[in-house]
Order: sequence, then structure tokens, then C-alpha cells
Amino acid sequence: MRLIRAVSAELSKCLTLPGGRAGIAVAMLGSIALTVLNAMTARRALASGQPELIASASPFETAFAAMPLGTVGAVVLGVIAIGSEYTPNSPDAGGGRQIGTTLTALPQRIGLLSAKAVAVVLLVVGIAAVTLPVSIGVARLIVGEFAVESVSVAEAVVRCLGGTLYWTLTGLMALAITTLTRSATVPLIVLIMNNSLVSFSLLLTNLTSLAHWLPDLAGRRLFTGIDTVDGGLDAVPGAWVMAAWTVALLLVAGAVLRRRDA
Amino acid sequence: MIDIEQLVKRHGARTVLDRVGFQAAPGRVTAFLGPNGAGKSSTLRILVGLDRADGGHALVAGRRYSELAAPLRTVGSMLDGSGAHRSRTARAHLAWVARSNGIGGHRIAEVLDRVGLTDHARARVGSYSLGMGQRLGLAAALLGEPEVLVLDEPVNGLDPEGIRWIRGLLRGHADAGGTVLLSSHLMSEVAGLADDIVMIAGGRIVASGPLDEVTSGYADLEDAFFALTDAEASR
Amino acid sequence: MTAPGLGSAVAAELDKLRTLPAMLLALAGTIVAGAALGSAFAAAAVAGRVALTATEATLATVPYLQAGMLVVGAWPFTHEYAGSQIRSTLAAMPRRPRLLVAKTIATLVAAGLTAAGTVAVTWAAGAITLRAHGIPEGDVGLGSLVGAVGYLLLMGLLAAGVALLVHHLVPTLVTTLSVVMIASPLLAAQSEHARWLPDRAAQQLYAATDAVLTPGTGSLVALGWVMAIGGIAALRFVRRDA
Repeated sequence: MRLIRAVSAELSKCLTLPGGRAGIAVAMLGSIALTVLNAMTARRALASGQPELIASASPFETAFAAMPLGTVGAVVLGVIAIGSEYTPNSPDAGGGRQIGTTLTALPQRIGLLSAKAVAVVLLVVGIAAVTLPVSIGVARLIVGEFAVESVSVAEAVVRCLGGTLYWTLTGLMALAITTLTRSATVPLIVLIMNNSLVSFSLLLTNLTSLAHWLPDLAGRRLFTGIDTVDGGLDAVPGAWVMAAWTVALLLVAGAVLRRRDA
Repeated sequence: MIDIEQLVKRHGARTVLDRVGFQAAPGRVTAFLGPNGAGKSSTLRILVGLDRADGGHALVAGRRYSELAAPLRTVGSMLDGSGAHRSRTARAHLAWVARSNGIGGHRIAEVLDRVGLTDHARARVGSYSLGMGQRLGLAAALLGEPEVLVLDEPVNGLDPEGIRWIRGLLRGHADAGGTVLLSSHLMSEVAGLADDIVMIAGGRIVASGPLDEVTSGYADLEDAFFALTDAEASR
Repeated sequence: MTAPGLGSAVAAELDKLRTLPAMLLALAGTIVAGAALGSAFAAAAVAGRVALTATEATLATVPYLQAGMLVVGAWPFTHEYAGSQIRSTLAAMPRRPRLLVAKTIATLVAAGLTAAGTVAVTWAAGAITLRAHGIPEGDVGLGSLVGAVGYLLLMGLLAAGVALLVHHLVPTLVTTLSVVMIASPLLAAQSEHARWLPDRAAQQLYAATDAVLTPGTGSLVALGWVMAIGGIAALRFVRRDA
């Protein structure tokens, strides 16, 4: 009961912040917009008989290529969920930060972090539930009669679920890391970059194969779309490794939050 | 009822609070006085669970703050201004606070009206003046209709009308049987309002008791304040 | 006494940046990251028995280092809104167009120093790592190194333009990082029109691979983006209440 109240407060916080809304918009509208652009390109290439110009004639792959923008949205939500607590208010309005109000309303700090984690999961899963079907539908509609679907329905469902899991775990890691840093800048840079093609983790694989056990690379096969490097963990053990990282980071964040003066 | 005993807080080698103890009783307004940096805010932050004590305890209604199931229904507090994110509206801020403690949504409009922010409820908190931020902080404190009010420098930034209003509000709360603990460094504001005085200087309690007891032998509260806090400072 | 001119406005802006710990941290962080990455790329090439010059190692680090440049470019235009400093600034320098020019010059100086310093340190770290393995650092190829400095500078300016528009660091970073790091490569994989994106166009400065854009026209396209975003933001800054 108490957790439900706390989660609903956290959801309300996130949805009334411009930053939270922006995170949702990036994930949903950004992914869909990118899908539209890519699908239009694909249609033109296929219609003019030049399929070699595009990566894939499959509408599913075309839509799935926009997955990394959803990851950015999940990162933003995770970062905002705790980072906004530490944003100083305008000095004219008396300064101060929201964290004081939050902790007087919910003094059990582990409960607070759990509520934030649940809120992030609900938001990210909700975003995925809307974004993925809409993107795939839009791609099918645009590519239309030129489409060559190479991905079976079963495979598509599995990959959508895998992608959603990846988004969710990334959002939770963003939450945990920002709890530790209390500032949004560094987690945003590191997490957004690591989900791009110029990822620090990917670079590290050149130096040591242990880097494949880093959370983002371990979970990479959850949405195989981009196979940039060979090797590393398979999807299922990779998912477990990424989940273990997430849980470990959340535990550290919880322990620190519990001990720290607000 | 607020019960603080033997509270100790250290920041590194510096002792911020040195065995601080006092009580604030129901039906009375207790003023917590001391110069800047004396330990007023530290004490109040520990009382509402924001900071951890290195020793002693601070109890509200006989329990530690973090043990209260819906704390805002027992204790309303305002520390550090509005305590709201600058990008949120006052209404949205109060909405999540209410939700977190299972407080009915109808209270939002009521407290906004009570503190005189109804016309500004849909403005971003970042655009508020100091006084408006203070009023929003009070609104959040009053939201759960708590028995105990803990307010850090509540008159900061309020205009004369606002100061008069908050005096009436706190007096009324105590007269209805509530407990009020407020910190201040403004003697004139406190003299007309407080029933009990607790004075702190250099992290130690230097005087506590009913107003007339603490001020007896001195011309007024201000005189007593300087005599008692200077004595501690020169130790 | 003469009235203070643009020179003192620029000096004041540079003073602000010089005394802002977060700015120094971003600057130092970018340079240190450059050294680490330059060394890492060289070491990876040595381990993989791939021939690589120090300059090639440096150019490979540029996509990573641009993140630091985004922060360096964004700070000058966002830090004053984190408190009420913007009011002191406008009280001291009420002529807003001149204030903007001064800020832009100060940002150019700061971003230019960061970019040049980073590229130099990155190259040196790559060269030292190669030498440590008894491999010569190879041709310097000054042109592409200067191009890399230019690219990093343009990315700093892009962030500055977005920052002037949105006033706060976090949304600036989310926007620019998403466009440069995520959206741009995704679009480039699908469509040749991606070459008109600011980062793709500016890349011609150090890696002239495009069929249409040259280093000259590429940097002009990128500059066009900066001017368009910055221009709208500047107009708003000059006209609107602070």
C-alpha cells in the first residue's frame, strides 16, 4: 500500500516535469520520426530497384533500427527520476532542493529508491508497448508493397521483448548511477555515448575481452539489430549479466542513499 | 510533542551539535533561537530524518520520524524554502506530495487557498518570489493536517502582511492543541508569538523554558539572547 | 575614464569561464580523455598488429572527444541560468548584442583552446605509446589534425547555439548527444541525405570521404547549422525579458 502510494507519487513527479516529458517524447516521437525517415528512404530505394542502397528491406528491421533513441529516452527518465531531486531552485524563490520535501514525505530511503525504480520500469515498459508496435506498423505502411519481411512474427515478438528489457535495465542503471553522482551530466554523457557506435565499452573490447562482460555489451544481443563486433556473450547469459549489473548498481545506490545526509 | 535528547552531530572533526536536548509541547509555540550556524537547521534536519545523528535521538509523537507510516499526517515541515523543483507548477508539486502520503486531492486547493497561492497555482515554481516560495513550503507542510509543525525560519521573505498572517496561523494551530516548533533569528518576530524559548549557540543549548522565565533578569528577549549566546561564544 | 568596450566584455566573460570549476573540469576532462583514448587506440593497434600512425589514432578518438566539446561549448551559455547570475551580467552589460558577441568570442577561445590542446595531447599520447613499443609514430599529416581541431570546435559551437536556445545544460546535452551520437549514425546507415547533418558535414574537415561535400563546403554546412540555431536563439535573447 505504502509502495503503491510512493510509486504513484513518483510517476506524478516524472510526468509533471518538462524533462520527464521530454524523455518520453524522445523515446516515442523520436523513434517513430526516425522510422518514418528510414522507411521513406527504404521505399524509394526499393521502388527504384536499388535495394543495395539500404540496410534491409524488412519493415521490422527498418523500425528496429531506431531502437537506440528509445534507449536515450530510458536514460533520460532514469537520470531525471533522481537528478531532479537535487536541482537547486531559483534563489529568488528561496533556493533549496526538492530532495528535502521528498525525504520528509517518504523517510524510508530504500522504499523511495524502490518506488523510483518501479516508476522507471512502468514508464519505460509503457513507452515500449506503444512505440514498438506503432513504429513497426508505420514502417509497414510506408514501405508497403515493396516490403520483404525477413523476420518471422515469433522472432519479432522475442526481439521486441528483448529490446524492452534492454531499455528497462538501462533506465534502471541510469537511476542508480545518478543516485550516486547526484548530478545528471556525467551519467547522461556516459550512458548515451555507450549506446552509440562510439561506445567506450566497445573500445575496451579491443584491449581486453573482459569488456564483453560490461553491462551494455552483455545486453547488446537483446536487440541484435546492430552486430558491430563479433564475440561476446549470447543473448540469454548476456541478459543475466546485464541484469546482475543493474541489481548491483541499485544495491550500491541504495546503501549510499541510506547512509547519506540529504 | 517533540522530544530531543543528547543529540550529537559531527562534520569531520567539527562538532556541530553537542548533546542538544529540549522538548516542544502540544498547545504551545516553541521558538528555537540562535545565531546563524549555531545548529538550528542541523537539529531540525535530524528531527525530520534528512540528516543522521551521530548520537542521541529526536522523536516526534514518541517515534523516530522514519518510523511514521504517513509522516506528513503527523508532522508538517518546511526547511530550505519551497522544497519544490523549479520546473514544476505549485499544483503539480503539492499533487505528488499528497499522493505520497495518501492525502486526499481536495486538500491541494484548500492549502493553496489557505496560503494565498490559488492565483499562482499554475505558475512554475522557478518564477516565484522568495515570499511565494515560502508560502508554497508552508502549503506542503499544512497538506496532511498534521498535529506537529516544524518550520525553519518561516518568516523569511514574507511581507508585513504575510508575517502577521503566519503568526495568526501558528497561534491558532497551538491554541487548537497542536505543537509548533519554529526556528528564527528575528527576536522581535518571536517575542510576540512564542510561549517557550530554546536558545542554541555553538551547538549547545544555552537556555530553555517559558518565555518569561528565560527573559527574567533581562530587559527583553533580544537582551537575553545576546547575553546568553555571547556567553557561549566567549567560552 | 573611457567607456568599457568589447575587449573588457570579452575579458569579463573569459574571467567567468576561468573561475567556473565545472568549466575547468570539462576542459581538463576532455584533454585527459584524449590522452587516454589516443594511448588506447595506439595500444590496441599494437596488440592487434595493425599499422597505425599517431595521427590516425588521434582521428579515431575524435568521435569520442566531441562529447567533451559539447559540454565545453554549452557551459558558457547555461551556467548563468543555474542561479541568478544572468541578472548581474545584464546589469553590468546591458547591451545584449554586444554581450552575445563577447560571450561568443569567449566561447570560441575556450573551445578552441580545448580542441587544440586535446588534439595535441591525444597525438602525443598516441606517439608515446607507439614509441614505447618501438614503432615510429609515422607521418604527422598536419592538415587532418588541424581539421580535427576545426571539427571539435564546430561541435562546441553547435552545443553553444543549442544552449543559448534552451538555457540549461541537461536539455542541451540530451539534444546534442542524441543528434550527434545516435540519430546521425542511424540516419547515415539508411540515407545519403544524412551528409547534410552538422556533424556529418563537419567530419569532412578531417575525413574527406563524402562524394558531394568537400572540407570547405562541409564546414560551411555545419557553420550554417550553428548560425541558424544560434541566430534564432540570439534574436530571442536580445528581444525577450531575461
